[in-house]
Amino acid sequence: MISGEKLTLVSHVDAINWNRIQDDVDSEVWDRLTANFWLPEKVPLSNDVQSWATLTEDEKTLTMRVFTGLTLLDTIQGTVGAVSLIPDALTPHEEAVYTNIAFMESVHAKSYSSIFSTLSNTKQIDEAFRWSTENQNLQRKAKIVLDYYRGDDPLKRKVASTLLESFLFYSGFYLPMYWSSHAKLTNTADLIRLIIRDEAVHGYYIGYKYQRGLELESEARKQELKDYTFNLLFELYENEVQYTHDLYDGVGLSEDVKKFLHYNANKALMNLGYEAMFPAAVTDVNPAILSALSPNADENHDFFSGSGSSYVIGKAVNTEDEDWDF
Amino acid sequence: MSTTAEKRDLEAVIREDTDLDYHALNAMLNLYDADGRIQFERDKQAARQYFLQHVNNNTVFFHDLEEKLKYLVEHDYYEREVLDQYSFEFISRLSKQAYKKKFRFQTFLGAFKFYTSYTLKTFDGKRYLERFEDRVVMVALFLASGDEVLASQLVEEIISGRFQPATPTFLNAGKKQRGELVSCFLLRIEDNMESIGRSINSALQLSKRGGGVAFSLTNIRESGAPIKKIENQSSGVIPIMKLLEDSFSYANQLGARQGAGAVYLNAHHPDIYKFLDTKRENADEKIRIKTLSLGVVIPDITFQLAKRNEDMYLFSPYDVQQVYGKPFTEVCVTDEYYNMVDNAAIHKKKINAREFFQTLAEIQFESGYPYIMFEDTVNRANPIDGKITMSNLCSEILQVADPSTYNDDLSYAQIGKDISCNLGSLNIALTMDSDDFGRTVETAIRGLTAVSEASHITSVPSIERGNDMSHAIGLGQMNLHGYLARERIHYGSDEGLDFTNMYFYTVAFHAVRASMELAKERGRTFDGFERSKYASGEYFDKYIDGVWEPRTDKVAGIFAEAGIHIPTQDDWRELKAQVAEHGIYNQNLQAVPPTGSISYINNSTSSIHPVASRIEIRKEGKIGRVYYPAPFMDNDNLEYYQDAYEIGYEKIIDTYAEATQHVDQGLSLTLFFKDTATTRDINKAQIYAWRKGIKTIYYIRIRQLALAGTEVDGCVSCML
Repeated sequence: MISGEKLTLVSHVDAINWNRIQDDVDSEVWDRLTANFWLPEKVPLSNDVQSWATLTEDEKTLTMRVFTGLTLLDTIQGTVGAVSLIPDALTPHEEAVYTNIAFMESVHAKSYSSIFSTLSNTKQIDEAFRWSTENQNLQRKAKIVLDYYRGDDPLKRKVASTLLESFLFYSGFYLPMYWSSHAKLTNTADLIRLIIRDEAVHGYYIGYKYQRGLELESEARKQELKDYTFNLLFELYENEVQYTHDLYDGVGLSEDVKKFLHYNANKALMNLGYEAMFPAAVTDVNPAILSALSPNADENHDFFSGSGSSYVIGKAVNTEDEDWDF
Repeated sequence: MSTTAEKRDLEAVIREDTDLDYHALNAMLNLYDADGRIQFERDKQAARQYFLQHVNNNTVFFHDLEEKLKYLVEHDYYEREVLDQYSFEFISRLSKQAYKKKFRFQTFLGAFKFYTSYTLKTFDGKRYLERFEDRVVMVALFLASGDEVLASQLVEEIISGRFQPATPTFLNAGKKQRGELVSCFLLRIEDNMESIGRSINSALQLSKRGGGVAFSLTNIRESGAPIKKIENQSSGVIPIMKLLEDSFSYANQLGARQGAGAVYLNAHHPDIYKFLDTKRENADEKIRIKTLSLGVVIPDITFQLAKRNEDMYLFSPYDVQQVYGKPFTEVCVTDEYYNMVDNAAIHKKKINAREFFQTLAEIQFESGYPYIMFEDTVNRANPIDGKITMSNLCSEILQVADPSTYNDDLSYAQIGKDISCNLGSLNIALTMDSDDFGRTVETAIRGLTAVSEASHITSVPSIERGNDMSHAIGLGQMNLHGYLARERIHYGSDEGLDFTNMYFYTVAFHAVRASMELAKERGRTFDGFERSKYASGEYFDKYIDGVWEPRTDKVAGIFAEAGIHIPTQDDWRELKAQVAEHGIYNQNLQAVPPTGSISYINNSTSSIHPVASRIEIRKEGKIGRVYYPAPFMDNDNLEYYQDAYEIGYEKIIDTYAEATQHVDQGLSLTLFFKDTATTRDINKAQIYAWRKGIKTIYYIRIRQLALAGTEVDGCVSCML
């Protein structure tokens, strides 16, 4: 599906020197991303098996479909999206960050499979994947983004990527947050929150790099890119609304999900340095979802319930003699 | 302070109609209002809506108490034997006593947690059969075993919020279909297949019935050790951990909660690095341990070796047992260290001591584990004869144990003594408000003792025997931070430390006194009293030789105003004489648990540590993600609610050190770090804790704030 493309490799490579940082944000984001490294195996998803059994058939189908949709987006981002940004990087460190992003997107894509194989069976999984290849709105979403990745404008690629990271994922993220606020699939929600934690940084970073790139452009070109951004967002938004109805009409959550779309569309624009598109009146997301979204690692859980999304890989520093002065 | 007019406004907000469901209202706690103020009223509104939208519609209606009790007994919801101990008139009076208090949940989470996890429900799980008052009455009737005075006192202490039994007791007491009432179990595993097999069985049996289970693995021979003299045969501790982990996830308590377990290993066990690596982020699936908690037992010698930056030797438990003729756990590593190093008969490995501590900190960063028990500190402070070799799932239980021996068919050749502990905590703020401080403590001790006497864990004979011999209980404390903030004292300040010292000092006196009264009434003591420091009088030395008084005016004033008598040296002399004459009934009296769930129901801050956040995000399998405001907090006193990450480890350790000197068992001490901390900071905290005489360290918690630019706008728990 995605293969058949030939990636243009950069022609010349210098050894990357992390002691000469041109942009501090590169190393800040690198540190954050590496500290946030995780693998799906750390989350005890099997604790959700009982909870999964309490969902109705419609709810199960919805959940499976949402996750196949997310798998597709993460696959795009891991195999094409983040990789396509590498040749455009302004600094070698930016390239390094993209390789990390690409890798983690693949981890995300695999995580959904962990959820599937823990909660469901092969037949249901295959059905959900078939749905995802047959759903026109999902495929259209993938096609729009892929087309822009294939284009030859580095800044437009970043716009597409930011909108993907900060906007398109969230129609899917809504559901696990909704479940967890109703005490269902809480470990799955932990895993999704780890993904959200990553995507929040990815969207922020790529948007930031877009803004840096934009500074070098002429006024006319700036205007062109802005128009382009809003047009693309609107195109994606219209499609996303259809997709949301496809998914959520059955359980009556579409209206609330749409508010969530508005909220995140504004967030994506903010990452790109633009003003909000949707007024506050239509971004009043259910507080339970909004609060659950916080990428902070500060929740309190007990050992009966799971691992949470709180721990990070720490910085190792030797103790010195003075520390042992007793 | 808010004016009366403002208060009336709040009341109006709480009562106003809303389209939002209670989850959404509760989540608004975590979002600032337009003026940047925390929306406390929304949480109260959420609690109210929870009753209006959900609880009231789903509560089974009865015309009167008689009809209700009859129904519940006939349909196997209540245990008939519990009610039969009393006249109906008395039960009716007790119920009125409870309802007269007009109990109201202060937070949404308190109400939600109670109705989700504690109250009696119809067997289909859909409708409620009890209100909070009914649960309290049933718990009191169960614990008092027909003693009307005690039943009435227990209702008084529990409904007023001063005493809160731990989850297993509060959840189960009086129900016909129930788990056990005890919170914690600790078992030894010896270095033979029968003992290992028994342990798996015990893990299944105990987690089926409730409570967390901890095992000591220190005596298990290391991987590569010989079996039947053939070298390189043993696979060490990891496979046993895997077996235990699977056992715990298989057996849960009627679905009430997942089984949970911990394993402890001595730092000088040769498998120590393998043990720790099971919690690595990149650990292979074959060795990764997800849900089992880990603890490491560290003797003083390890610190001394690290101080000198020397290597530390790890000793083969199999060889140690051969050489000393007793299990590795029973050998004091600090005393025997150099003898073992010099003994050629003991296989050993070496690692660098500082590197060991650093690895410990790295794993704690990634996973929060392991817990730590400072073995020599614990044993120096142990008033009971025998050696303490491990702790439990929450690192607050510290008791002695004896090994069991088995026949080939897994029957017992000799039943040893394993550990169980039932817990309950006092709400410090409300206990300070009690009209009789001593009676509150005594009632709690009596309630906890009743749980021990009502518990017979026949499925694990070594636990049953241990309980019969020791009647060990663990009186805990919670809401320290809430209380200090209410009194406008900063956590960890000089006044805060002074209060902690005097409060625990006074509790210790009444706890020992109550246990002495029990021994006097029953005419017997715990088994081994005559070999304890209570019998020798040594326990009382520091209280009789030294003067314990408040050192700040503020704290002296608080106790005076509350009318609480602070025990004098003469009081202790008298108590010592009474204990010498009558003994005490409970081998162990105090243990300060982390108090998760019950502190929400009780409207307390957890245990005696600072709040993790002003608005705490609580996530559990059964309740999902819910938001909880610190007790007594409003928009005007926020400065007293600095969170644990801001307060820093020194003040937390100082506070725990004050309390530790008066607690015979342990205190769950969580340490909190920002993600800017390094492993060195964690090591420094461990060294500081060890030097201050802390007995155990529970979780290490790391807070990572969202990268600037990625946070959710206006979110309370995201701000500093």
